[in-house]
Amino acid sequence: MSRGEAEPRPGARGGLSSGEAEDRAGAVFGALSDPTRRALLAAIAAHPATTATELATQLPISRQAVLKHLNALAEAGLLDRTRSGREVRYRFTPAPLSDAVDWMTAVGAEWDERLAVLRKQLGAGRRQATSAGSRGTGRPTPRSAGRPAPPPTRRRSSPEAG
Amino acid sequence: MSDRIERELWLPATPEAVWEAVTGDGWLADRVRLDLTPGGDAEFESDGSVRTGWVEDVSAPERLSFWWAVDDEPASRVELKLQPQADGTRLRIVETRPLDRLDLVGVPLPSTSGATFGPALVAA
Repeated sequence: MSRGEAEPRPGARGGLSSGEAEDRAGAVFGALSDPTRRALLAAIAAHPATTATELATQLPISRQAVLKHLNALAEAGLLDRTRSGREVRYRFTPAPLSDAVDWMTAVGAEWDERLAVLRKQLGAGRRQATSAGSRGTGRPTPRSAGRPAPPPTRRRSSPEAG
Repeated sequence: MSDRIERELWLPATPEAVWEAVTGDGWLADRVRLDLTPGGDAEFESDGSVRTGWVEDVSAPERLSFWWAVDDEPASRVELKLQPQADGTRLRIVETRPLDRLDLVGVPLPSTSGATFGPALVAA
């Protein structure tokens, strides 16, 4: 269907250029850095195939502002747009998000576990001067985006267009 | 751009003792085989799962960076930095998963399965 420029960088299985991949990863985190956009994503995930007009009624911002945020999310590959008559319907496409979040959650937990072992082993009883949380990455915590169940595979499968 | 995990821990031990602990069996994996020279092979085995990789850079007991991956997963880079302090050692860990290099270029790791690392992560 008419996904137009909303198509998040097609044909990647053959290979994104490194620049494209970099742009995309940056776009995902950039898009999620804004709380309004996270709220929008959560609303869209909860109500698939929603429109900007419908979203504007749920959030204290104008339809114009909603559209601007939706564009940023779509460009990051987090939304799929389908034209339906005069309206565009939005769906959440969580693949880029769940990949990054899954990795950081899993790997972060592994390190926390290893550090706990080390702390015990080397007897760090007297000073727990640690920063077990992630530091200084400036990353948003996209958990608040109301992440739905991850896709069945790690690869994006273009469920809409088939 | 990459996914990135950072951790820092202070330990009441000398850098040498911390180095021994972090490079020995039982920490990075149950069984750790590290050829501590640049380009050296690395193998990490825990509960039947094996990660393979190689040592990027090493300067005992201050710095170790290596790459590792499970079979066909994208590889990630780990850097351990040990900073001596008056009363102990500060250990800093950074693990990054580049989205723009190994994933796409498919740099093969020295793995028995001969797996390479295609764009599994960013496949669209």
